[in-house]
Amino acid sequence: MSTTSPRSLPEWARLAILFGALGALSILLVAPIGVSGTYPRAIGEVLRLVAPAVAAQNAYLEKVGRFLKPESMLVIGLVIGAFLAARTGRAPRAKATEPIHASETTNGRRYLNTFVGGFLIVFGARIAGGCTSGHVISGITQLSMSGFLFAAGVFATGLLTARLIRRGGY
Amino acid sequence: MPLFYGLLVGVAMGWILQRARASSPAMIAKALRLEDLTIIKFMALTIAVGMVLTAGLALVAPMHFDIKPTYAVGVLVGGLVFGVGFALGGYCPGTCIVGAAEGRRDAVVTIIGGLFGALVFTLTFDALKPILITPLDFGRITLPELLHLPRLLVAVVVGAVFVAVVRWLPTVRRVG
Repeated sequence: MSTTSPRSLPEWARLAILFGALGALSILLVAPIGVSGTYPRAIGEVLRLVAPAVAAQNAYLEKVGRFLKPESMLVIGLVIGAFLAARTGRAPRAKATEPIHASETTNGRRYLNTFVGGFLIVFGARIAGGCTSGHVISGITQLSMSGFLFAAGVFATGLLTARLIRRGGY
Repeated sequence: MPLFYGLLVGVAMGWILQRARASSPAMIAKALRLEDLTIIKFMALTIAVGMVLTAGLALVAPMHFDIKPTYAVGVLVGGLVFGVGFALGGYCPGTCIVGAAEGRRDAVVTIIGGLFGALVFTLTFDALKPILITPLDFGRITLPELLHLPRLLVAVVVGAVFVAVVRWLPTVRRVG
């Protein structure tokens, strides 16, 4: 990035400018971008079907509300947008499984790590009330103190865990 | 109308995240190992552009701000738990949706793990609330309120710091 003309910007920087503008547009039109609240809302709809008595008494499901919300539509939109981008892009097709640690020598080991990883990111995001989208991107965009605090926590253990995994040869 | 806008924002966001390779767990792992900072720079520049535009727009139009409360214990602990899962699997709750849409099976497994995480949190909320959510709740506070300065001024200064760091940091570290 030695010059500032838009054509010379790397692709990630052009996409970041677009994403930043999209975040601002979203706050202008509907609400800040957010994803992780959709997980308990989806779980809530399932619980209402299979265990209505449990669902009716649950304070958290009451707090997050029903599924039909702009935020859930955003998640459906993510699927459509990502599918179109992958199909029309010049980049090679994404790998079905992409090992990222030395220990992930089989699909089973990779899936175990992503299952536990998936559990922790949503469990953690729900404790904090937002994830990378709601707290880090939208939170800091709105200069919310909670966004800065959450991001500090994520990078503290994120960098530490990545380092420990590599040092330990896991 | 808000439902339709939500869908459109999602389509654009899914397209951007896929093209930025934010849905690649290898890119996330390299970022957290400080080998390739592309994704971190992408996030920082996104936030810098977003905060200046948002603060500017707020001067001329009503905005749908939604500031999340800073209950310090839960927000920090949640971030710490999130960071471990982020480094372990290489996905966040949004990028695993993007990854699943482009045919990544490990992203689908991440979503299933995430739904279990949401289920366990939903069922343990009453027990967790007094420990994590209730203590040290400072409410919906922002940096400009804390500093008693105009939002646009703070956005321009913080945004400029983010852009300076993005320009100063090398994107790829030479290994070995």
